Order: sequence, then structure tokens, then C-alpha cells
Amino acid sequence: MRHWWVWVWLCLGATLFPPVHAAGPSTDKVLNPGAELWNEVRGRQAAPATTQVQGRDSQVLVNEWGEHFRDYRRQRFVRYSGYLLAGVVSLLLLYHLLHGGLEVTESGRKVLRFELTERIVHWLLAGVFLLLTVTGVVLAFGRFVVLPWSGPEVFAVIASASKEGHNLFGPLFIVALLWFFVLFVGRNLPRLVDIYWLIRAGGMLGGGHPAAGFFNGGEKIWFWILTIGGLAVSTSGVVLDFPALVEGRNPLVLALVVHGIAAVVLIAASFGHMYLGTLGVKGSLEGMKSGLVDEAWAHAHHVLWYEELNRKAQAESSAREQGQ
Amino acid sequence: MAVDMNVFRGFLQQVRQLPAMAQPTECPDTERVAAVKAVFKERIDAGVASHLEACVHCGICAEACHFFVQTGDPQFTPIHKLEPLRRFYRREKGPFAWLYRLIERDIEETDLEQWQRLVYDSCTECGRCSFACPQGVDIAHMVVIMRRALANAGLIPAGLRAVEQEQGSQGTVFGVGPKQLMAAVEALRVRGYEVPVDKDKADVLVLTATTDILLFHDAMESTVRIMNHLGVDWTIHTCAFEGANFGMLSGYEKVQKAASERIIREAIRCGAKVVIIPECGHAYPAMRWEGANEHGEPLPFEVMAISEFIGRQVMDGKLSLKPIGKGRRVTYHDPCKVGRHGGVFDEPRAVLDALGVERVELPDNREMNYCCGGGAGLFVIDTAERYRALAFDLKRKQVEATGAQSLITACDSCRLSFLAGTDRTQWDRPIESLVELVGQALPD
Amino acid sequence: MTVTEFVDGPLWYFALAVFFLGIAWRLVVILANGWRGDLSRPRRSGLTGSVRALFSRFAPAPGIGRRIGLHLTGGYLFHLGLFALLLFAAPHVAFYAERLSLPAWQPMPHWAFVLVSELAFIGLMLLWLNRVLNPVTRLISSTGDHLSSILTFLVMLSGCLALEQAHEPLRVLHFFLVEVLMIYFPFSSLMHAFTFVLSREALGYRYGRRGVPV
Repeated sequence: MRHWWVWVWLCLGATLFPPVHAAGPSTDKVLNPGAELWNEVRGRQAAPATTQVQGRDSQVLVNEWGEHFRDYRRQRFVRYSGYLLAGVVSLLLLYHLLHGGLEVTESGRKVLRFELTERIVHWLLAGVFLLLTVTGVVLAFGRFVVLPWSGPEVFAVIASASKEGHNLFGPLFIVALLWFFVLFVGRNLPRLVDIYWLIRAGGMLGGGHPAAGFFNGGEKIWFWILTIGGLAVSTSGVVLDFPALVEGRNPLVLALVVHGIAAVVLIAASFGHMYLGTLGVKGSLEGMKSGLVDEAWAHAHHVLWYEELNRKAQAESSAREQGQ
Repeated sequence: MAVDMNVFRGFLQQVRQLPAMAQPTECPDTERVAAVKAVFKERIDAGVASHLEACVHCGICAEACHFFVQTGDPQFTPIHKLEPLRRFYRREKGPFAWLYRLIERDIEETDLEQWQRLVYDSCTECGRCSFACPQGVDIAHMVVIMRRALANAGLIPAGLRAVEQEQGSQGTVFGVGPKQLMAAVEALRVRGYEVPVDKDKADVLVLTATTDILLFHDAMESTVRIMNHLGVDWTIHTCAFEGANFGMLSGYEKVQKAASERIIREAIRCGAKVVIIPECGHAYPAMRWEGANEHGEPLPFEVMAISEFIGRQVMDGKLSLKPIGKGRRVTYHDPCKVGRHGGVFDEPRAVLDALGVERVELPDNREMNYCCGGGAGLFVIDTAERYRALAFDLKRKQVEATGAQSLITACDSCRLSFLAGTDRTQWDRPIESLVELVGQALPD
Repeated sequence: MTVTEFVDGPLWYFALAVFFLGIAWRLVVILANGWRGDLSRPRRSGLTGSVRALFSRFAPAPGIGRRIGLHLTGGYLFHLGLFALLLFAAPHVAFYAERLSLPAWQPMPHWAFVLVSELAFIGLMLLWLNRVLNPVTRLISSTGDHLSSILTFLVMLSGCLALEQAHEPLRVLHFFLVEVLMIYFPFSSLMHAFTFVLSREALGYRYGRRGVPV
């Protein structure tokens, strides 16, 4: 952990985005009279001192990296994640206006796509995700978005509620994510056909639906974003929820950075997922509600899965005939 | 000895003709809802009320129902079969009736037709749901009330109604009356068995059933031989021999009461201490549990299923059997009406053990045994044929899982259902009757 | 009168009255239906059966358990969690002592409080999702059942949002929702908390007489 700051710095993207305040003119050559004192205070780690206060950070008077973190959080994280989320929403809106949702003519025959347990675990994960998103957004952006119009008294209440809710629901996300992973990982392993699907951009290039199995390339990418991003928010979240697990303040800063970035990526990707699951591809939502999708839907979007289903049904019926 | 399958198929054909023989009912369409409500009102007591109040709609009962387990169709959810009863209770009897009358709609005639299919065609009153319910809601008990209500409104399905009407008007079932009984008795006498009929006084009144007279001749023969072997003072009575009670199955109380009363009167008259019910599933609860209530006072005699009677004799050491089943692996199917509704579990098992068979239990057994699919009159409801098939497929799978060579039961209704299934799927395992096996194992 | 005063004062007493009177009324009406006697000769004691049924039904019936894993997990997590929170969460114990003048008992430690809340939440959400997504429960559930789920969820959610115990409005919100739940309780299927006893007794008695193990 000695070089933890390298990681933080990488995460902060300092090389790409130099700190905003550092860009200002700094021509003042006259030394601040207090500068030496402050340098000394900062350098306390090098020169051991004694204190009667017992605690992990008791010897640190000024957190050297606090200012960097504050700068990152206020100037960069909030700004760029705002851009990202707004960008994704605009793109989806634009796509929907130009292209519209996909629709197939229904056959009226239904096939089972998701079992009850799969549906329940999906919505458990989705519900917890939503609660964490709302409370998390209040915690991360509230100061800039909610506070100005709510005033400090109301914001204090909302922030406290969000913090407690976020901390409490966090562990539930881990449980739901693990359960979800176990249920769905088998169908999300990459296959050759996915690459072809991705090259054709799921049918946006080349016309017609490219073949896909139970999940298509895009869905698989979302699954792995969710898994890896989920792992990142979960581990960092556990550190933040139980700070006693780590030593000192710096891992907490690292956790906060990782947590924020991973969460924003997840939220942005979930917008795409929510769009495709509802307006984007008609009939998908029904599959996650009742578990049933129309045969025509299955044939259009997941033809390889549909054919496999048919093969299984045929094999079963012939086995039954033989048995009689 | 196996049943003559040609006779059996003829019997099935006869069952399919039943709806054509049903007479129209008396209840005019406009009075049906009122007729249903009248029964609901009379039958709802604190027990039923607390069952209706305790249900939280968790759906666990569906997981116990053979029809749901086999199809996954939520229509078969047991508690859903009681919707009209629940609605009546909430609107007209419950603690907040004034509120529910404002927000919940009343029972309509079209509802009754829909629920007729649910409580007759797709419910065998087997009661497995009552045993699965964590709240202790006795769904089967309330299905009986539903059937009584629909019967009162003239909504018994045609096939079942035809038999109920026959028993109500002529006292016969499938045309079997005293004459047919005596023909069967004569056939037994010709073979050298002593059959006491219409004795003035007897300790034991033995009933039989139409199915035994028409199809399962060996069951009747075995019963006669067992009684004689034990040296019991017994009789069959030509005016009171039919155990089957289609009044109870259809829910038509008038016919149920008349059929029970006929037996009770005769048993009292001849001073019987015990009335023995043949291997006719529903006949057991009809007399054992409901007889006294129909009669209006406690019965002065004991009521026993034949499997229970033989089992007790074996358990008390009064009857020893030849171990004819050595080396055979068999499994026992507990008839719902005798087992889950009657508490007869150990007696038949004691009999099987005395026969020396290797007895294996079904994966679900005793009070959690799956129904044969043909109980509660489903066997004579033509529209229920596909449901019976579903239940048989489940049973077949379970029997095969035990590796048993044959399936033994002590109920004609179960036997009929299994035979129909065996015939349809060309299954290779025999369906055997407990009393028949005992007949073969009597010491010389 | 401020909102806080209203929620802490009149509404609280009103909710208490509706809760207790409503429960009593509902139980009285159920029992007033009387018992249809049974003249048949019992094989065994019906009383023993009813005592057995009262306890045996806490465990799934043989062979049913493997089909209802979700009900069992959700049901037990939620119910046990709820009772633990209701009785042993520190703010609740303090509340009973202060408002109901009960002697204070030892509450559970904060970490247990948090852990139990998590488990109770998972349980409730599983049950609720099952109600909404399972075709069986979709068919048989009434608006009242859904309302019960939503209200219970909101009460628990507001409770956990107020966990910091630093902001009066959050406590008042939680308390207000509790009062709404108490008023709703006697009219709803939440009454199963009491009626399950009667129902199990009736079933246990009926089958106990018949000598069937219930």
C-alpha cells in the first residue's frame, strides 16, 4: 500500500485532466510566511511526534491528499459523470426518435424464457439497484443538485436518509448480485456468434437480425459490465460501509473513487438496458414479468435459442411416444 | 386375479354415456345465485370463517395439488376454487361486510358456471392442499361446501348428476339393485361359499359397492371368505348394501342423507355393532364421519373400512395370513378418503407386512400421498378425463421411482382410475386390491 | 398544531384505538359464527390435534418443502426479522418504555439491528416479488394484499432511513407510516397474525379427531 497514491492518481485521471485550480496563474514568487510551518505539519509522518490521542490517524494533522480528493470529487467526478449520464440519455433519446423501437408481429404462441426464480432475482437486483442509485445520486450530486433548491435544513434530512438507506441496502446488492450471477453466468459465456452479432451491431448494420443464442452479444456485454462493475462497487462499498476493515484514510479515498466511477458506469449502462428492455425492443419486458415471450419475438431476436427449444420439444414428444 | 379388461372397457363406455342420461335440474337460472348463497350461509361456521380469514394468498396450496403440479396452470390453485365462497363471506357475513359490499362485486351466475368446472372437474377433494397450508386453511372442507352450494343450484356436472339422480330416485347405482346383488351372491353360493343375506340379527353389517358387483368380483368373494374365516356373525342386507353415496360426491344433501339413512336404519334394526365399508373410498367418510351428522345423533355402532377391519384383526393376532408375497416388491397407495380423511394408515400396512411382501413407500405417502385423480366423483365426470390422465402420469412416475412391481390400494375409485391409466398408456405394473390379496392368503 | 404534534398526539391515539378495537371486533365476529358440532365418534382426541397443528404448521409439510424454497426463505427471513426488530431494536424498546410505560428490556446491539434489518428486507422483497411475478399469486392476490406489502415495505424503509436518529422529520415520517399500518391492519389480511391460530385449531381439531397426523 505504499504506492497507493499512484493508483489514486491513475483513477483521478490526472494526466488526462490536469486539476482545474492548478491551471491558474501562479506567478507569486514570494514565499508564504506560513509555508514552512505548513510543510512541516504536512511532513509529520516523516518526523514522528507524540500525541495522547489513540487512533489510526491521530498523528496526521493535515491529510496531504485531502485537497486532491476534494478537487477530484467536486471538479471532475461530478462534472464528467454528469456529462456521461446526460450523454447516454441524449443518445438513447436521439436513437429512439430517429429509429424507434423494434417490433415483431406476434404469433400469439408463447414460450417460457425466464423461470420464476430468475425473474424474482432479476427484480430483486433491479429494485435494490434503483434504491442505491437514487440514494447514491443524492449523496454524490445532492450538494450541487438538491441543496440549491431544498435549502440546508431539508437537504440535511434527505442526505441523512440517503446515507442510512445506501449503507443498509448496499449489502443486499451483493447478495442479489451473487445470486443473479450464479443463475445467469452459464448463458453469458462468450461464443463466436456473439462477435458476429457485435460486428453487425445487433442488426443496426447490414439489415435483418443477426443470429443470437439465449443472450446476444450486447446482453452479454451488459452482463459482464454488471458483474465487473458490481464487483467494484461491492468491494469498495464494503470498505466504505465498514471503515474499520482497512488501515488509515487513504484506502477509503481509493474506495470512494472506485465506488463513484464504477457506479456511474453501471448507471449509464443500466439506462441502455432499461431502454432496450422496454421501449427499445417491444415484448422484452413481458419476458421478465410473466416469463413468457412470443414465439415470433424469440425467433427474431434469439433464433439459435428458439431452434434449440424446438429441438428439445421434439425430442421430448418423440420420447413420450416411444414410452407409450 | 386380474380384472377382465374387456368388461372394464365396457364399463368405461357406459360412464361416457352418463351425461346423456342426466335429467334437467329444477333450479331456474335466476335463482341459482340465491340457492348457492343459502348453502354458504348455513355452512359457514367459526371454523370456515377463520379459514377464510387466515388465508394470505401465498399460493403454497397450488404446490400440493396434483393438477397444478402437472400443468402449472394457476386456475387449479386450490384456494382459487373457493373464490365465490370467499366473496360471499366478505360481502355478507364477514366483520366488514358493509365495507366490502361497496368495493367488491357480487357473485354472478356466470361465475358459478366457471367455478363448476373448478370444483367438480379439477378437484378431487383429496385434501392434500389442506395439509400443505401453513395457515391451516382446510381447503378440501370448503370445496365440499362449494359443491353443496352448486348442487343446490342445480349445477352438478351431467355425468355425476345422472348417477346422483339414479341413486336418489331408484336407490340403485349403475343399475345395480337388490336383484343384481342377489345374482352376485348366488354366483358365490354356487362356488360353495356361505353368504348370509338379510339376517334378522347380526353383529356385523357388511356393505358392498356397485363396482365390486360389476367389476371387482374377487373383492366381494374375498370379503365373504374373510368374514366366514373369522367366524363373525355377519350379514349383507338387500335393502342396505350400497356403500357408494353419490349424494355426498355430488354435494346434493337430500340424496346423501337418504342413502346414509337407509344403511343406518338397517344397522340399528339388526343390532349391528360394526358396519364394514367395502373398498369404496368415499363411502368411508360418508358413513364414518358424516353419517352421524346426517342422522342427527351419534351412531350406536362402529364404522370400519374393510382394510381397517382386516388390519385390526391382523394387528390383534386374530387373523394370520400365508406369506404369499415373499420376494415381491410392492407399494401401497393410501386412498385419500380412507387415509388423509380417515386416519387409516397403519392397518393396511400391517396387512401387507403379514403377507410377507417387501413394502416400499411412495416418495409422497400417508397423509401426503398424491390422489389417484379420480376421486370425489371425477371418474364419472366425462369432462374431467384429461385431468385424470394428468394425475395418473404423476402417480406412475412415483411408482416407477420406488421400483415396486405392483401398486396396491384399498379403494375402488383409485383402482378404476389406475386401470384407466394403465389401459391408456399400456403400463406394465398390475393394480391390486388389498382385500383381494388377503383373500388369496387366507389359511386353508 | 404542527404535523409532528398531530402525528405524536391525536393520530397515535386514534391508530391505537382502531388497531385494538378493530382486531377485537374482527375476532368476535368470526367466533360468533358458532361451531357446527360433529357427532361422529372420534378416533383420537381432537384437542391434541389442534395443539399439534398450532405448532406443526410452522414447518413445511413432508414433500412440500422442496417445492416452496422461496416461500420458506422469504417467509422465515421476513417474519423472524420483523419480530426481532419490533421487539429488540433499541429505538423501539425506548419507545415502548416511553410511550407505553413498559419496563425497558435489553435491546440488541446496533450491528445485530442492521443485520436483522437486511435479512428482513430480503425476506419481504422476495415475498413481495413472488406475489407480483408468480402466476399463482398474481391470480389469487387482491388489492388488499398488495397494499399490505407496500405499506409494510414503506414502514420498514422509513425506519431504516431514520436509522441515524438525528432528524426529527424522519422519525415522524416512520411513525406516521406505522400509524397508517395500524389503522389498516384490522381491515386487511395482515390480520392473519391472529387468525392463523383459529384456523390451525379448527383444522387440527377436525383431523385430530380422525386420527390423521396434522
